[in-house]
Formats: sequence, C-alpha cells, structure tokens
Amino acid sequence: MTEPTEDIILEMRNISKSFAGVHALRDVSFRCRRGTVHALVGENGAGKSTLMKILAGAYVADSGEIVYKGRHYDRLTTREALDSGIAIIYQELNLLPYMTVAENIFLGREPRTSLGLLDSKRMNAEAASLLNRLGVNLNVRRLVGELTVARQQMVEIARALSQQVDMIVMDEPSAILAGHELEILFSIIESLVAQNVTVVYISHRLDEVFQIADEVTVLKDGRVVGTKPLEALTRSQLIQMMVGRPLDEVFPKSRGHRGETALVAQHLTTDAINDVSLRLHSGEIVGVAGMVGSGRTELARALFGADSLRSGSLTIRGERRRVSSPNAAVRLGMALVPEDRKTQGLFMELPIRDNITVTILDRITRGAMLQRRLEAEAVQKARGELAIVMASDRQEVQDLSGGNQQKVVLAKWLATAPTVVILDEPTRGIDVGAKFEIYQLMRALTDRGVAILMISSELPEILGMSDRILVMHDGAIAGELSREEATEEKIIHLATTGRGLAEASETQTGQAID
Amino acid sequence: MTTTLTAAIPPEARWSALRRHIPYLIVYGLILALGIYGTLNSDRFLTDRNLLNIFRQSVFIGTAAIGQTLVILSGGIDLSVGSMVKVSVLVSALLMNGQPENIGVAVVATLGLGVVVGAAHAFLITRLKVAPFIVTLGTYSILRGIAYTISTTPIGRAAPPVVQFYDLKVGPVYALIVAFFVLLVVLMFVLRRTRFGRYIYAVGGNEQVARLSGIPVNRVKYGVYILCSVLAALTGLFALSRSGVGDPNIGDGLELETISAVVIGGTSLFGGRGGLIGTLGGVLLLGLIGNLLVVLNVNQWLRDLIEGAIIVIAVALYKQKGRQ
Repeated sequence: MTEPTEDIILEMRNISKSFAGVHALRDVSFRCRRGTVHALVGENGAGKSTLMKILAGAYVADSGEIVYKGRHYDRLTTREALDSGIAIIYQELNLLPYMTVAENIFLGREPRTSLGLLDSKRMNAEAASLLNRLGVNLNVRRLVGELTVARQQMVEIARALSQQVDMIVMDEPSAILAGHELEILFSIIESLVAQNVTVVYISHRLDEVFQIADEVTVLKDGRVVGTKPLEALTRSQLIQMMVGRPLDEVFPKSRGHRGETALVAQHLTTDAINDVSLRLHSGEIVGVAGMVGSGRTELARALFGADSLRSGSLTIRGERRRVSSPNAAVRLGMALVPEDRKTQGLFMELPIRDNITVTILDRITRGAMLQRRLEAEAVQKARGELAIVMASDRQEVQDLSGGNQQKVVLAKWLATAPTVVILDEPTRGIDVGAKFEIYQLMRALTDRGVAILMISSELPEILGMSDRILVMHDGAIAGELSREEATEEKIIHLATTGRGLAEASETQTGQAID
Repeated sequence: MTTTLTAAIPPEARWSALRRHIPYLIVYGLILALGIYGTLNSDRFLTDRNLLNIFRQSVFIGTAAIGQTLVILSGGIDLSVGSMVKVSVLVSALLMNGQPENIGVAVVATLGLGVVVGAAHAFLITRLKVAPFIVTLGTYSILRGIAYTISTTPIGRAAPPVVQFYDLKVGPVYALIVAFFVLLVVLMFVLRRTRFGRYIYAVGGNEQVARLSGIPVNRVKYGVYILCSVLAALTGLFALSRSGVGDPNIGDGLELETISAVVIGGTSLFGGRGGLIGTLGGVLLLGLIGNLLVVLNVNQWLRDLIEGAIIVIAVALYKQKGRQ
C-alpha cells in the first residue's frame, strides 16, 4: 500500500505504549490522507483512544514516531499538536455552561480592542461566521448550558475551527446524538472535508462508518488488524476484522410467548411527559423509540419513581402501587439500567464487587453483618452469567472497558432477580461483541418471564429486538407498532411528526392500552 | 453467554488496589519517622507516661473525627462539630452540677441533644436541599451563639466520678483510650461489614447513582449526621471529664482539626473514598506533632504551621497516586 507521500497528512509509525507493564499499543502504524474521513474502529480497550491521546500529546509513546505534515516528531506536546492544527473533540464535551456560545468558542483567545478590553462585538461576529461556515444556525449570545447536547457539540467543533485546523479527531461523536442530529454532524463533516480538513472518526456504529468514511483502520488488542478503503469492504467483513471471527449479525429470535401482564401504567404525567399509558407483559420486549428529548428517558424515570408523578397510576402484577422513589420501585421488582452508566449507573471509584451487590445488601446480610461468603457467591454468579472480564472483583469500575462497565450495571440489577427491567440505551458506546452478548442476555431474561422496556436511539436495535414498539413524540406516545408492521420509515415518521404514515394510520392507536 | 469476547484488561487495573493504601503508608510512615526522631532527640519522649498522654489527648479530636469521617465519606461535611462540643460541655456541666445522681440525666440529655442537632442537619440537607457546608456553617454559628449566651465564663461542675474517669485506668491504659478504641472498632466494623456502611460509601461515591440503585439516600444522611453530632456530644462529655467545669472555650477550632485529621488520613473531601484507619493515623499524627514540640521545647505556634504544611503536602502526594 504505497500512496503518493504528498497525500499523507499524518503517519504514526510503529507506535508502542504500555502502562505498568501492560501493552496498550504494540507496533501500531496508522496513516491518513489529507482531506478524507478516516474511520478508526475497534472494541473497547483496543487502543483507539490511547493512539489518539498520543497524537494529541496527552500521552507519550514508548517508541515509534509521528510524521505530521512532513515533520518528524518523537513526541508531540499538547501545545505542538494544537499549534500545528490538530484538534480533538472528545465525547465528554469541554464547555462552560454559564458562558455564551461565542465566549466558549473563543475561550482563552478572546479578541481584544486596542485598549486591551474584550471586543465582544468582534467575538460575536466571528463566532457567527464560524457557525455559518458549518451551516449551523445558532444564536451566539445564548448560554451553552441551554443548548441540546448536539448543539453543544457543534459549538465544540466551531471552537476547533476557530484556530487554523488541518485535522479533527472526533471520539465517538455520535454517541450523544439522535438520528436527525447525526445528519447535521455528517453535513458538517462533509463541509470540513470540502475545506481540505482531515477527519478521524472514531465510532462503534458501523452504519455511520460506511456512510461517512473513506477509509477505515481496525484496531484489536492494541494492534492494527488492517486499513482498508470502505468501498472494498462489506459490513460482515468489517465486523470480522473487529472481533476476529465471523459473527452472524442477527438479533436473537423472539420466542414470542408473552405471559401475563407485569405492569400497567395509566395516564402518567410528569414535568416532561404527558398522559402516557402503557402495558408490559412478562416475557416480552417493548421497544421505545423517539428523538432525544421526546420524553423516553423521562418515561423510564417516571416508571421507576425517580421523577415524581403529577398524575397517573401504576399497577404492578395486578396490584395498584405507589412508586414514590427508586427504593420503592426496586422493592417491587423493578430495575432501571440508565442511559449514562458513568453518571447514573455506576460508582466509578468503587470496586466491581461493591457495585454489583449494592442492590442486594439486605439479602446478603445476616443479623447486622454482611456475609462475605454470600457476597462472593453473588459476584461469582454475575461474573459467570455475564462474562465480565476483570482481573479481580476489587478492581475499580472506572478501570474497565465500556462494554464491561455496562455488564456490571446489568449484573447489579440481575442480582435482584427483577420482574420488570427498563433498559435505557443498553448498548450505547459499547463494542459489537458486547452488544451481541447483551442482546442474548435480554432474550434469556424474557425466556425467564421478565418484562423488558427498552429505550433506544438505534433503529436496527429497536426493530431487531422489540416485540412491540412504542414511538414517543413531544412527551407523549405517538403510536404503537407491532413487530410485523414496524419499519424504520414508519418509526421515523411517528417520531418526527407525532403522526403515523398515511398507510399506517389505521394501525396507529395513539394509546397503547386496550 | 455464548459469545465471550476478551477485552484487554486496562493497564490502570493494577493500581486500583494499591492506590487506596498509599495514604496509609504515608501517614503511618510519618508517625514512625517522627517517633524515631523523638526517641533519638529526647529521653522524655519514649516513656509510658508520655505515650499514654499522646493517646489520651488524641481521644478528643479522635472521637469527633470518627463522626466527621462518616459525614465526609457520605459526601458531606460538618462544620458544627466544635460548637457542638462546646454546647455539650456546658449543658452536661450545668445538668450535672457536681451531683453524681445527675450523671445519667446529663449524659442522656447531652447525647440526645446530639441526635436533635444531627437530625436537624439532615432535615435541612435532604428536604430543603441546602448544601451541607452552608447548613453546618449556620449551626456552627448558632450553637456557638447559644454556648456564649449560656455563659462566657466557666459554669457548672462535673460530678466527681466523671472527673475520676479521666484518670481511670484499665490495666496499663486509660479507660478513655479503651473507650475510644472500642468506638473506633465498632464504627470500622459498621463501615466495612454492614449495609449502612456500604451505603455511606455509595452515597458519597455518587448520590445520583445511589438513588437510582434504590438506596434510601435520605435515611443514610440522617444516619451519618446524627452519628456525627452524637459523637461530638460524647466528645463534650469526655472533655468535661478532663476540665471538671463547663468551660465555654472548649471546642474552639475542633471542626477544622477533625477535617484536617480526616484529610491527612486520605479520605476524599468529595466522599466515597477513605476510611477510619486513615483518620486514626491523621489524629495520631497531629497528636504526635503537638507532643514532640512540647517534649523538644519548641515554640508551640509551630504546630499550626506544621499541621498546615502536612495537609497540603499529604493531599498533594495522594493526588499523584497511580498517575503515569
């Protein structure tokens, strides 16, 4: 694979990096061509982030060299990386919520007047023109904290562009975006490429990789599996490169035996949702689709007692219940796997063991004492059931990969033997392999008679896993679709307009309750 | 599961276990080093009498610091500890008024006052959602005001058995020290081996996660704040046994002393990380420094300076743990 050298903007040669004796990267070579979109994929722990952090100057490679725009570097400092036009957009956005869009974009480089005072007029004008260049219509005087995550991400990109930039690395930019926002991101990427900027796009979502990238480099266990142009690859070939073995990309089949009613919600209304009614049966998976902000997560929180109800009622296994707190919900056999495992699902600084057993401490207490033996058994069981990869159960959760972290969240809830499980974006930000494990686990749970409510932004996941699909729009359920009748088109139509497609209108009920 | 994929174990993993213990190594290492220094430089240091005194003097900060540790582990802070001690000394001295038959009432009332103050803290923090720093800054001042309204000069008197308790020995050591270690061990047990203990770490680790995990977060907060104020009240009773009278100057600055001990012991001010072994180390280290200055005839005011330096250096060192 020899390319004309003037085409290559970046080449990282034979990069190795280890932490405390463990190899994170071994002899990795990576190069990308100017003005293209280069996807970087691989499972969690494969070394993608480490490689990009070396490029950004956050880590120093143990060996290897970087050739960027024809210059050789043994190491790049953060300053050099910035000054030479490398920008990184991290998944966790680095913005100040109480400052305006323009102030964030020019943070630390505020334009001054000749007197040395802030020149906010110029700052606002330049910020507006930057956002214009991205094709984004946004009031630069608004506070960043008031914007949606997707818009905040655009501010972050605009900030990168406010300096001379040749290369932008985006670390899983889509993880925080819903469908229509993704299209905006893609059009931004296209306009960047048109301006001869190189984009390195890190993602788990293969659809996106195929849609946006020109070339892809696959990392696995700290080594490069290969770099290929995407037109030469099929989806299953790419998956095979990533996981090292062929995988049937099929969702485990529903056995379709729906049991008795597990939960009935009637006319739930909170600050964020309006008159939502639904029914869950044991043994079924009900998918909840809808745009980010349509009230999906708030529905989950309302069911789980995390947000207080203004009106409405819950009936669980035939009995009317007041679920005033998550504590009450847990005692009624409910579980919620929240959308953001780092801030809502896990105690990142506590050991794996404590995270798994936090929900069942009363069951492993005899007298006043926690029983170490019972606890070890519970952890051992979870570990086997979920195939959590860990060195020891005393390891802090923050040291695990995303997929393994998600398994710990699941483990903590499965330990309670719940009858109703609410999953909010169960496979967000985890690799293909762990995804399939979670799908199979969900099926195993329904086979045991558990009722699952699954919120997801990924339509293939919704279509592949759900027995029924509820589509939310503007805080209410816009319609219900059966597994057979559901298509991406119908879901998107319901989610964006709140109404069914013309040909689907007779099946659209607007009410999930019969 | 059928598809088992092995992800590489992240390199930071190995640090996980070790880095928790680094503060302990540093604190107890310092204690050992200072002990050796004291032994080599003064023949008054390594005597039974002196060592017992260090421990006995440490009981006061230590008892209050146990409560402070629980509160800080849960992600809060209690700035009212010193004022609580102050009020407790006065209340118990007044109620006792030198009469042995009043001891029971005085002790129960003083500890009961601790329950009330702690419950008030928790109520304000959980229901009215006022930050713990603000709530306890308020009660710091309120309790202090109450104490000085009661009296600005020594008032009331401890009953003789209470005064005798201060010098009472169980075998070779003071009963006060034994009582402190019993408390310490019980609460270490609570932290490590009970549900309440785990919940404290969970709430301090991430309150939102704790709530969503079904943990009764508010009850946990009631628990830690009540324990903290009750332990402060107990510190007041211990202090009364030492002073014999209700001296309103007792307890000054104790809230910061306890926070210093907790922080030097490696407990994170953000909560969720640390424990009582560290706090014990912090308390003993502070006691040892004070004692060494006396034994070596050094200017007493140096104590504050050294204490401050140790806090800053220790915490700066802990921050480096496990970083590449």
